Amino acid sequence: MKRGKHQEVSAGALERSAASEARQLRKQAGDWLKQRRADAGLSQVDLAARLGLKYYTFISQVENGFSRVPTETMEAWATELGLEPAAFAKHLLLYYEPELHRLLFGAEGK
Amino acid sequence: MSVVAFERRQGNGEWSETELSTIVAALRAAIASGEGRGWETGTTENGDAQFYLLGPLPDQACELCVSRIGGRYILEDGAGRLLFEHQSLPLVALHARAAVRSSRGWLVARAMLLWCITRQIIHEKVEPMLTESEDLLVQLAPQLAAFA
Repeated sequence: MKRGKHQEVSAGALERSAASEARQLRKQAGDWLKQRRADAGLSQVDLAARLGLKYYTFISQVENGFSRVPTETMEAWATELGLEPAAFAKHLLLYYEPELHRLLFGAEGK
Repeated sequence: MSVVAFERRQGNGEWSETELSTIVAALRAAIASGEGRGWETGTTENGDAQFYLLGPLPDQACELCVSRIGGRYILEDGAGRLLFEHQSLPLVALHARAAVRSSRGWLVARAMLLWCITRQIIHEKVEPMLTESEDLLVQLAPQLAAFA
């Protein structure tokens, strides 16, 4: 179906709005991770070393809200931060996939 | 009296204009692709500069990250995989451009694979069902006509 110019603009605005929301949630996840790392008494360099990363730059990438903790390393992150892996993953899901989190755990799952 | 022009010291958390223009120029094609890609800069806890190439809308997650640590440039993807590292930023920028190209090529390849699988499924499952229905209709049509 051919869309009118106005519809295209609206779709673009919706996409930008969704992007803004996704970025905001990633940033919130990053802030939460930063706080948990501080609670564990670790620097970004310390955490990267414990996770076996050559450079600590990815930790910063995640904490600044530009990337996610990869699913395959969530358990390791949780362990190094002294958190229970399932609770850690569940909490991150709240930011990374809020709709999936709502479906799985409901509103009280927060 | 002569003044020696020292270069701005690196590691202060900011990219120089020359550094930024080198990276942006290398990634210009990706940034200007009209898919909502963009870029941002930031710093690490230690004040090292980072450049993030953001992916297409709506997610706009980091696709590539260039960091500068002690005069060395580190290129990573959005999942933290180390792609390249060197003291020469132009060389790192070239690798960044190649990484974006290969990731786009990979996406095209995946889309093509998905299309082929869909066609194969239609060919194997849907078409026989349609043929079967057609045969059934051919058999039943005279009976229905007689009944009418």
